[in-house]
Amino acid sequence: MSRRLANPTEDPLWLKLTLGIIAVGFIAIMLLLPLVLVFKEALASGVKTFFSAMVEPDTLAAVKLSLLAAAIAVPLNTVFGIAAAWSIAKFDFRGKTFLVTLIDLPFSVSPVVAGLVYVLVFGMQGWLGPTLAGYDIRILFSLPGIVLATIFVTFPFVARELIPLMVDQGRDEEEAAATLGASGFQTFLRVTLPNIKWGLLYGILLCNARALGEFGAVSVLSGHIRGQTNTMPLHVQLLYDNYDYAGAFAVAALLAMLALLTLALKSFLEWRYADELAASHRH
Amino acid sequence: MSAIGLKIPLPKSRHVLPGFGLSLGFTIFYLTSLVLIPLLALVLRPFELGLDGMWNAISTPRVMASLRLSFGMALAAAVIDSVFGFIIAWVLVRYRFPGKALLDAVIDLPFALPTAVAGIALSTLYAPTGWIGSILMEHGIKIAYTPWGVLVAMIFISLPFTVRTVQPVLSEIGRDMEEAAATLGATRLQSIGRVVLPMMLPAILTGAAMAFARAAGEYGSIIFIAGNIPAVSEIAPLLIVIKLEQYDYAGAAAVGVVMLAASFIMLLALNGLQSWAAKRR
Amino acid sequence: MSLVVDSVTKKFARFPALKGASFVAPQGAFVSLLGPSGSGKTTLLRILGGLEVADSGSVRFADLNWLDMPARTRNAGFVFQQYALFKHMTVADNIAFGLKVRPRDRRPSRADIAKRVTELLALVQLPGLEARYPSQLSGGQRQRVALARALAIDPRMLLLDEPFGALDAKVRKELRADLRRIHDHAGVTTVFVTHDQEEAFAVADLVAVMKDGRIEQYGTPQDVRRDPKTAFVSEFLSV
Repeated sequence: MSRRLANPTEDPLWLKLTLGIIAVGFIAIMLLLPLVLVFKEALASGVKTFFSAMVEPDTLAAVKLSLLAAAIAVPLNTVFGIAAAWSIAKFDFRGKTFLVTLIDLPFSVSPVVAGLVYVLVFGMQGWLGPTLAGYDIRILFSLPGIVLATIFVTFPFVARELIPLMVDQGRDEEEAAATLGASGFQTFLRVTLPNIKWGLLYGILLCNARALGEFGAVSVLSGHIRGQTNTMPLHVQLLYDNYDYAGAFAVAALLAMLALLTLALKSFLEWRYADELAASHRH
Repeated sequence: MSAIGLKIPLPKSRHVLPGFGLSLGFTIFYLTSLVLIPLLALVLRPFELGLDGMWNAISTPRVMASLRLSFGMALAAAVIDSVFGFIIAWVLVRYRFPGKALLDAVIDLPFALPTAVAGIALSTLYAPTGWIGSILMEHGIKIAYTPWGVLVAMIFISLPFTVRTVQPVLSEIGRDMEEAAATLGATRLQSIGRVVLPMMLPAILTGAAMAFARAAGEYGSIIFIAGNIPAVSEIAPLLIVIKLEQYDYAGAAAVGVVMLAASFIMLLALNGLQSWAAKRR
Repeated sequence: MSLVVDSVTKKFARFPALKGASFVAPQGAFVSLLGPSGSGKTTLLRILGGLEVADSGSVRFADLNWLDMPARTRNAGFVFQQYALFKHMTVADNIAFGLKVRPRDRRPSRADIAKRVTELLALVQLPGLEARYPSQLSGGQRQRVALARALAIDPRMLLLDEPFGALDAKVRKELRADLRRIHDHAGVTTVFVTHDQEEAFAVADLVAVMKDGRIEQYGTPQDVRRDPKTAFVSEFLSV
């Protein structure tokens, strides 16, 4: 029997321990500690305070507004994502790569800049502001502005998930359906959709999480009117700036729970539908 | 029998599948009206105001300091996250240990957690009275309400980008190359340094570029912890917000254009990196 | 100076990949490990190369306790089925890798390395391709480069894991003949894994037919073909 040797691609134990401790330590201190703190602070003044902060009318109004904005922005971006992925994956045309780059653009733009561009379009000194004001239409500092900001920052989520997935799946099945006499809509519903449904859900999940959590862009466009144009994240800021830490952390805890739920669903989808999602994650 | 007379009518469209016009038309309309035209409003603003006015708006010490802070700290955060992101990806791909799936899921927390929540949590954590802040205070280190607070928030917000770009590439390359290196006489360190890292370089740089872009534009998580002292710990996006609140649209647009130009450059760099990576496959 | 493999075993998780494999090959022999997938032939080869650690058994080669040495110091050239060329390096850098990573006192000079690379490229019949990247080569060319890279370190032993598995029939045949020629030229003990009996018989001096982690029969191609010792061998050869 030979002396025990390690596999050459297996790191020695000391290296494993060192890197493992660095990785776990970094994640624990940088990511987990803030999360733990949110829940600890939220419950610091007792469960009762926590729940009374929750049902405070301004908080409820913020929750309602956030849900409403997401309920408009997410479906719109979903339809856009499907249309974009369909045209890019199923057809050849010039400038395709450029189009994909443009779709990704909102990801690399600062949320504050996203808010700013709408102010420049719809503000009183902007391109459309004075005209719209003539018809008594308000975009800024009201729901439409908040929705626009939300759409901008969550713009690529669904498309980004679907494009690589549908490119990877090719066109064979759709072409087969077309030769069998299926209409375009039937083909999409019965052939394409079943193939992409988990990727689609995954994209919607991420889109929704970002929509509910967006701060910078919405902050520029909302006007921060308490009880009216304050979304949940903005309400957190308002309470925090007013030294209502219990209230701020109560709302923050609610948002953190939503984030954890998103992560759990996301991990579940990745685990259960690894094959289908793999295509998107190679990119 | 002759088949010459048989004429099959060609479909009018060159495409086999339907819906090309509709889907591409909607895509372009939606993209143009919601993203491109608004961005154009920003890009053209300096020309409406005159480039001199724009330069004057940017060249003030306060604006310059904020741009330096945002981009400088974003660069530092990208470098730090690239190092730790690579180590984390390595541990997640190569090692087996209990709780790995949980650790993997937690990486995306900064994606999922609203930035305002991250902001108040980090601020409380690193404040002189906070869990971490109080320990650091004993050693005379202040994080919250200083430029270092900006760095901490940026490291938090950008970490997933570096891990998530490196991780899939690392698990895809397998161990063949390292095995080849070992049979050719390379030490473990040589095979990591000369084989693994160079092969991972495009992915590492892509992750770093994305981390940088995100950190430079980040607002929500930073403003709570930074203290926002003008010309010291005031980031560029905050300055845009402040200028908008003062109805200084020209000033806000000037800073915004600089930020946008940086985004474009990063996007170009990313595309370059992608095609470089594709070429080496 | 022969290669003596004695009762080598290896278990993966619960699956026993090798249940005691033994064979003896004289210095400079060309041995084929032949068998269906799952027969343990690749595992045995990887143990010889130091890429897997045997659970028990021993291997003696040139008076060395082979299994006590790490892959790095065995100086065994290994050729992988999927080439495993370093994609970020040129052909020349790939071939020179094993020389460049040597400690300074044993490292040849730059000029000597370049000369060696040129010689090896001529030997594998790819002269002038120094500056190419692996992605610019065909499958057959890649495997020739991989072979040159393995030979560059003046290996004590040459190990090939289904090296032609990913190539088409015509290229396989060409490479097979070249491999034999190179083996005879270098005189290095060679172990070659394949599931293709025609390939095994055409190229090797000795063939080990493997099944379920054991060597069913070991002998010259003529002996094995003329006189299959077990039902499995005769059935495997008749396919």
